[in-house]
Amino acid sequence: MIWRQALIIGTFILGAVLIEVTLLSRLGIPGATPDLVVVTVVAIALAMGPVQGAVAGFAGGVLLDLAPPGDTLIGVNALVYVAIGFITGLAVDPRDRTIWILMGMVGLSTGAAVLLVAGLDTLLGSDRVDWEQVPMLALTSVLYGLILAPVVLLSVGWVVRKATPEVLVA
Amino acid sequence: MGLTGQTGFMFSRRTRILLGVLVVASLTFVILDLRGGEGPFASVRTVGSNILGGLERAAATVFSPITGAGSWWSSMRDQANQIDTLTAENQALRSELQILTNDRSRAAALDGLLRVAGVGQYRFVPAEVIAIGPAQDFSWTLTIDAGRNDGIEQDMSVINGSGLVGRVLKTTADTSTIVLIVDQGSSVGGRIAGTGEIGIVSGTGAQDELEFELLDPLADVRVGDALVTFGSKGGRPYAPGLPIGEVIEVSGTGGQLTRVAKVRPYADMSRLSIVGIVTKPPRVDPRDSVLPVSGDADVLPTPAPLGGSSTDEEGGKSDGAQPAPASEEESPATPASSDAPEGETAAVPVEEAVP
Repeated sequence: MIWRQALIIGTFILGAVLIEVTLLSRLGIPGATPDLVVVTVVAIALAMGPVQGAVAGFAGGVLLDLAPPGDTLIGVNALVYVAIGFITGLAVDPRDRTIWILMGMVGLSTGAAVLLVAGLDTLLGSDRVDWEQVPMLALTSVLYGLILAPVVLLSVGWVVRKATPEVLVA
Repeated sequence: MGLTGQTGFMFSRRTRILLGVLVVASLTFVILDLRGGEGPFASVRTVGSNILGGLERAAATVFSPITGAGSWWSSMRDQANQIDTLTAENQALRSELQILTNDRSRAAALDGLLRVAGVGQYRFVPAEVIAIGPAQDFSWTLTIDAGRNDGIEQDMSVINGSGLVGRVLKTTADTSTIVLIVDQGSSVGGRIAGTGEIGIVSGTGAQDELEFELLDPLADVRVGDALVTFGSKGGRPYAPGLPIGEVIEVSGTGGQLTRVAKVRPYADMSRLSIVGIVTKPPRVDPRDSVLPVSGDADVLPTPAPLGGSSTDEEGGKSDGAQPAPASEEESPATPASSDAPEGETAAVPVEEAVP
């Protein structure tokens, strides 16, 4: 059963990374690139739990850094996404899941991802981060995350319910 | 794994170990990557990039109908006006149209590329952009579908039909990563066409703005001046004579030892589709002959300001500066005006170097 979980997480994360760098980043929409990977990590954490969320976050972060145009430090995204996946899975009590709480979690996570990655990069001595742009990027990232959220949350939830009902958090 | 057992700060032993492993692994990657250089980690990274690069190529092929015809965002707005005509057409016609416009924009991009390469005698490999780094990474990098197998090597110049785009940062077997000139870490040696004043063109992180820092604080720079690459030894990382952009603002000296000007790059970094990687720079520096020709071709051939502007400062310069702002609206590389530069290359020593 653990392999089935790994397969689901792997497929969703790899798909999200590929779609994010080859499709979403090329649409030319203003502001941040829609952060499909974070939304997927949040969806997995909500559907399967904090541990699976953390694993998904790690996989997503490393793949995003390894995927060719990425020129950033490997591991920064991974660290941030591990935290997001774990905390999301832990913070949302399965008993009171309203649409607003779920969307709020996606919004918080996408915003936090931009801020934390920018902050970590700055701490690690990168001079790339332009802090004047950060608020706008965080806001647009939240907006695009919320737009992506319903589709991603529903499809991840559906697959988890069908394939690995034993870990479904609902 | 029920959540009830994990609320509060009492996690199971397995959870704690797994979380610890993930965090330590992330931090290890960061440290190994910060250390840089060659080593086992670098080759692991290369293997990973190779595999993901292949997957990206496949994914880009799948998504090409959506991403191929320029920017989705702007084409959406255009289509809103034509919605009545579009609804009248059936599905088959629509998809055919999509493919046609896609091909046409590709052909136009290749035409421009051939013009630049033809005038300047550059040899290049054409490639298509398949992935772009997320904007929140603050690095202007993209992936193209040509790599070592196509003769691409590190530090080659990358151009499109309008001018310099960037340079090759790293290569895998079938893909390469390009860092654009607007990236904050990028700096290019630039020369003002005509006067020959040199300086450093650095990226600002904004996609339509570069900063040109002149080495000579007393140098004469004006709005509308065109910049070309100065060229590096052996044409790496930047081949000489490639058009960079146009000066749009000159700031005061402000007590600094150098003068700074804002430059708008000729190449539109938000709409890159087909680019060319310069595999072989020309034997002779093409000087200013590759610069885009302004709207009316009969004004004067581009290299003429070489002598003109240096002798009569006021008359020659204002003439040269006048047509330039017009060219930023129209596409700089119209096929109609491409006769002029080709005719003029014959007069420039480049022609002798060909055989």
